Parts: sequence; structure tokens; C-alpha cells
Amino acid sequence: MASIWTVRFHAAALLPVRSLSDEVQLRPELRMVSDCMSWNRRVACRKFVVKAVESDDDRRLPNDVVVIGKSDEDNAGKSQQNVATKLQESIGSLPVFVFSIRKLSGMNFTIGLCIVATMLVVVVRGYTTRKSSYSSPGSVADLVRRGQLRSDRRGISTPLKYEDPFNNPMIKVSKSNSTVEMAGKVYRLAPVTLTDELQTIHQKRRSRAYQWKRPTIFLKEGESIPPDVDPDTVRWIPANHPFATTSSDIDEDLAQNNVYQKHGVPFRIQAEHEALQRKLEALQNEQKLSKLVIDPAAARDFERPLKSHMKSENQVEHNTSNPKSGSNTPPSSHIGNPFGNKPSSEEMQNP
Amino acid sequence: MISLQSITKPCPLHFRPKKSFKRTPKTLTPDRCLLQYNRKPQLAGETPRVVVITSGKGGVGKTTTTANIGLSLARLGFSAVAIDADVGLRNLDLLLGLENRVNYTVVEVLNGDCRLDQALVRDKRWSNFELLCISKPRSKLPLGFGGKALIWLVEALKNREEGAPDFIIIDCPAGIDAGFITAITPANEAVLVTTPDITSLRDADRVTGLLECDGIRDIKMIVNRVRTDMIKGEDMMSVLDVQEMLGLPLLGVIPEDSEVIRSTNRGYPLVLNKPPALAGLAFEQAAWRLVEQDSMKAVMVEEEPKKRGFFSFFGG
Repeated sequence: MASIWTVRFHAAALLPVRSLSDEVQLRPELRMVSDCMSWNRRVACRKFVVKAVESDDDRRLPNDVVVIGKSDEDNAGKSQQNVATKLQESIGSLPVFVFSIRKLSGMNFTIGLCIVATMLVVVVRGYTTRKSSYSSPGSVADLVRRGQLRSDRRGISTPLKYEDPFNNPMIKVSKSNSTVEMAGKVYRLAPVTLTDELQTIHQKRRSRAYQWKRPTIFLKEGESIPPDVDPDTVRWIPANHPFATTSSDIDEDLAQNNVYQKHGVPFRIQAEHEALQRKLEALQNEQKLSKLVIDPAAARDFERPLKSHMKSENQVEHNTSNPKSGSNTPPSSHIGNPFGNKPSSEEMQNP
Repeated sequence: MISLQSITKPCPLHFRPKKSFKRTPKTLTPDRCLLQYNRKPQLAGETPRVVVITSGKGGVGKTTTTANIGLSLARLGFSAVAIDADVGLRNLDLLLGLENRVNYTVVEVLNGDCRLDQALVRDKRWSNFELLCISKPRSKLPLGFGGKALIWLVEALKNREEGAPDFIIIDCPAGIDAGFITAITPANEAVLVTTPDITSLRDADRVTGLLECDGIRDIKMIVNRVRTDMIKGEDMMSVLDVQEMLGLPLLGVIPEDSEVIRSTNRGYPLVLNKPPALAGLAFEQAAWRLVEQDSMKAVMVEEEPKKRGFFSFFGG
């Protein structure tokens, strides 16, 4: 490392020693370029130069002399060389400056570095906290991110566990009970001032203000009031009310039984089923007695499943008789008929 | 939003709010604080407790409250049946995400088209929560036995084989029309939902009067859509002002939360959100108090800037 330094410092360091004329000309320029360099540093530099030259080999000295001699002879390219040497000097003097700082004020530099690092940390921390609080002030996601809220305790599948200790991470009450911190925000607490007396006063006020009787009967507008009904307890419902109607097609006792029914087939379903059964039995009896006399309307009602059954049978027959046609091709009787299975029903009705 | 047990002194009544909505609690600070959290609440009162959730004014959050409190109760380990008594404008099924599973309603039960247990829609997320709709949106409820029908329903639920539910929550329609009268018929207690604005408060006061005339004495209120920043700026009445005007004990204070709309649209109640939303937490607390028949003893009035220590920039 020392050899590298000496090699790099060599050209600039030799100048003041070897050619005094150039030294006189160049150094003020260098000083103008870099005013921050002090004389003390210059002295230190010179001391270092002396050491460096001594430690270096003697081969480069003649070369340098030759170079300087050439620069003396070439007056035309002096300005260019001045620029080049100036650049060379400035480059060469920079490590000298750093080295001198390290050498003289190493401790100060370390302390300064620490201060700068601390300031940097404070600024970065302040910036990040401000940014986070600005973006999501006290949001639940923020709380979860900061670890104040255990989000894994909530969800669809896992119920709350009450074995947990008395520790709610969401809410923190201050020691004086005057504030509460909830979801990252601090709220001031105020005690509720409502007392039983105040509640009673309000109840009395309301009982005076709102005289109301529960309506016991709902009547359609235009209907007459029954004789034993208090007119104040009648609630008039418009005939075209969108949601409510006064008419119902079901008995009250029956409705109550329907609500209380726990098992079995619901009433209406059972009633409809029984009615259908009865009708079907009657129909079958009639068919047994006289097959030719069938009410066509009743047959249309009750033989719908039979029709579909027969239709499916027909389709099966068609498919079996013509297996190459495939399932997508409809039977020929259905192609020209927009009403589908009407001919079959006609066939049934008129055998 | 939290429940604090405190010893407070009464202050003189001012029915109309003064110009300044701020209140100074320095003289009245809660002496003892007890956070009711992380503990299974103790069920108070006789079961099934029939609670009607009403407001008077529309759009204040009755259905949202019903859905969230119902599911909170189910999460707390109590069986609950929510009845959507909003005849023409039922929405509770949408909020719960059960709209595709409602095949039968009470009207079909009354007509005998189905049994009651077939009309009850069990929530798959929390199996001890069930939904019952009164009618389909385009059908009409026969009012001849509208109120009686709800009483029969409550009786039938009491006597069913799997046991009576702990809570029957009835979502009341807006207004004081026939639907309101029908909905409040079987109720023993009421939860009045209101927002801190004068229109909602006037309707709430009137509805409270009607409920009291009907014999429902246990009425608590939930103040919904509270914005502490507006209260601080004196642009909104504080919860204490609302309480001073209505004179009702507080069941809960629900802050304004954008998550409410999101959860409504998703059909996923707030209390099931993971991570939980602020409004969901408040609903859960309200459900907690409903179980224990408790009321709020201290309310959060405004937001304070968080105090930071001297070394806070170092993380202190």
C-alpha cells in the first residue's frame, strides 16, 4: 500500500523540490484551485514527500527531470502543459489531503461520522413514521403491521377463545382513566351523565308528548268500522299498499297451526296432494267405468307426467329404431310441429 | 366504544344542545375502569330475549346493526335468530350474504307451504345463527294477523326441539307504519339506532315514545356513524349530546367506517372481518353489552394527539 501511495504522489511531490521556478508558478495556482488546503497541510505534505522519495527507488528521478526539462524547452505548449500539470497536481494532492486528515484528526472524523449517522437515522425514522401515519392513520392494517393487534384471532373458521388472559391489544386505557388509546388513536373519555332521574323525566315527557294506542285492527280504506272496535285503534291501510294487505285467504287458527307444526308435510302441500289424489282416483274410477268418456280438461291436468313419460318412451323407441340418427336429431313427428308433443296428447285423447 | 364502570355525578339537564358541543370531563373522571373483553359474557334475563332494532328514520343502519349484532352474538356463543320484518324492503339477507338461500318466508309458513324449520336459513359461517324473512320482496303481508304471526313465531321458536334460541332479533322497517307495529309486537326490549343529526333524533324520540306507549321499557340506543373529527370541530353533536336529548342509556357508539359499505356489498358482516374493522369492534362491544344488559358508562368524545416522549424519535 505504501508503495502505491509513493508512486502516485511522486510527480506532484517532486515539483517543489526539483524545480523551484515551476514551484513558484504552480503552487499559487494550485492554491487558487483548492483554497481549502492550508499551509500546515502543505508542510505535512512536504514531509511526507520527503519520506516517500526516500523510500522510493531512484530510477524515476531522472525521468522526472527529463520531463521538466522538456517542459522548459517547449514554450509554445506551456499553457497546455500547465493545465496538464495542474490536473496532475490536483489529482495527486487529493490523497495527500485525505491522508493528512486521517493522520491528524482521526478521532474527530470518527465522532463526526457518528453524529452524521445519528442525524441520518433520526431523519429517516421521522420520515418513515410520518409517511406511515399519513398513509394509514390508525388503521387496523397498521395495527396488525405494528403487532398491536393479533389478527389471527379472528376469522371465519376459528371462534374466539376466551381462555385468553385479560389483555386486549386493541384498547389501552391510560392510568388516569381519562384517555383511551384505540386503534392507534388516543381518545378522550367522558363519563356518561345520564341518571335514572333523567331517564324518568324523559319518559314522562314522552308519555305526555306521544299519546298512542296500539292499533288492534287493520282495515282497508273504505271499509266500515266494526261496532265493538275503538276507532282510535284502527289502522287504515290503503287498498293499493305495496307491502301490506288486509285480506288473507287463510284462517287464523290454521295459520297458527302451520307455524307450530314441527314435523310432517306442511298443510297446504298435503292438502293439495290429497286433492290431487282424490281427483286422480275419481278419474281412474271414471275411466274404469267408461273409458270413452273422459273430461278433456281434467285429463290435460292430470296426465302431464304421463305425457312426458310417453314422450320419453317415444323418443326411446325412435332412438332404438334409428340408432344412427343420434340423440341430437329430433323425431320426425316433432320437426314440423312447434308445439312439441301435442299430437301425442291428441292421440291419447282420441284413441 | 368501550365499557367503563364508573361513578359519576349527575349534571343538570339541558334538553336542547348548547352551541358548544364540547364538554369538559376534567371534574368527572371514571374512578374504576373495567374493560369487558376476552371473557365470555354472562347472559342476563330470560331467554329467548326478543329484541327489536328500530329507528324511525330510514338509512341510519338498522339492518347493518341487526346483521352485525346477530353474528356477534353467534360468535360469542349464543344462538340467535334474526327476523327480517322489513316487509317490502328486506335487505338483511343481502347483508348476511344469504340471499340465494332464502326459499321460504313466514308468509309461506303461514300459508302452510312449508314448516318453520324449513324457512329458517342457517348461516354456514356460524351455525348458531339463523335468518328468517317475513316475506318475499314482491309479496304482500296479510296484516290481519301480522303482529300475532310474530308472536306465534316466537312461541314456536321457544318450543322447538333443538332448544329455544337465546336471542331473537327483529329488524324493524323504517317509519311508524303497519310494518313497525307488526315488528315491535313480540319484543320485550328495543335497540334504537340513531345518527347524531337532528332529523334522526326527532324520529328516534318519537319512536321511543311509541315503544314506551306499547309497553317496551327496556330501550337502549346505538349512536351510529359517529365522527370524532367532526365532533372536535363542533360540526357534529357528540354522543353525550345525543344522550342528553333522548335520555336513553347507551348500548354502543359506532364510528363512521368505510368498511361498512364494503362489507355490505360483499355480504360479509363487519364483525367477521379479518383484520377487524373499527366499526366491527364497536358492534361486538355493543353485542357484549346487550348480552349482559349493560350500558356504556363512559364514551369517547374526541380524538387527542398522541403524546410523544422526549426520546420518541428514538422509538421511546
